[in-house]
Amino acid sequence: MSSFLGRGPRVSDEQKKRIPPGQYFTEKWPVLHYGSVPRVDLKTWDFKVWGEVDNPFELGLAEFKEMPRKALHTDIHCVTRWSRLDMDFEGVAIQTILERAQLRPTARFVVVHAEQGYTANLPVDVLDDDDVILADMADGAPLTPDHGYPLRLVVPKRYFWKSAKWVRGLQFVPADRPGFWERYGYHNDADPWKEERFSE
Amino acid sequence: MTTTGAAAESARREFSEILARKGHAVDNVRDAVARLEQAFAEGALTRNPEIAGVLADLTVALEQNEGQKLGGKSAEAARFITRRLEQLLADA
Repeated sequence: MSSFLGRGPRVSDEQKKRIPPGQYFTEKWPVLHYGSVPRVDLKTWDFKVWGEVDNPFELGLAEFKEMPRKALHTDIHCVTRWSRLDMDFEGVAIQTILERAQLRPTARFVVVHAEQGYTANLPVDVLDDDDVILADMADGAPLTPDHGYPLRLVVPKRYFWKSAKWVRGLQFVPADRPGFWERYGYHNDADPWKEERFSE
Repeated sequence: MTTTGAAAESARREFSEILARKGHAVDNVRDAVARLEQAFAEGALTRNPEIAGVLADLTVALEQNEGQKLGGKSAEAARFITRRLEQLLADA
């Protein structure tokens, strides 16, 4: 049986249960970011892992794509209230990255670094989940520039601003460091099922 | 240390007034920042490291590459950042 959830496309009862409070269902994938879509030069592009790790490393895109691949079928939820269900991402499991980096016990938080100085912060306990990946493909195609080409993080259990586009590195740190939106009033934890949108 | 005096008060007040103006939020923010830069240049307000960091974030939020539209979250980012900036300017 189907029902409507507000305006927009028809949502089944099963889908309705997967949409957190205060969200609406969309079949589109809205593009939301601040500033401009960065221009990426693959000749100089790299992805770095550093900080509280025993094996810091950096990779070019070709090396990244040679790592073991993982497919992820998941739902995503944006703080601006849209939710998109049944998305397919593909890339490298974050747990593959963590294993290679060999985190020290002092690595309790991660700062996700992206182009143009954008950062997002997460506890390592949240990052280290089997549904978290560094994606270079979405819905069967390479990421488009406005969705994060060549690489973005996907953290489905958090509002999507934590899933930084245009990712360039992961810095593991002993103490939490608020990211861009978190510094200016977004909630530090960002759990959509608790509606943790803003800190005030 | 907080900068005092008529010039500092005037710069703070005008910064807030420009932000509250009718019109496009991003245009208002750009005008408000220009007024702020004038106040820094004249010594009416002091640019401390925290303000410099916030202004750097604001620059990225409003950066518009040739041929591109400004991102859909730019206005919101500008609103959040200028709210923080107003708080910092009270002590600048």
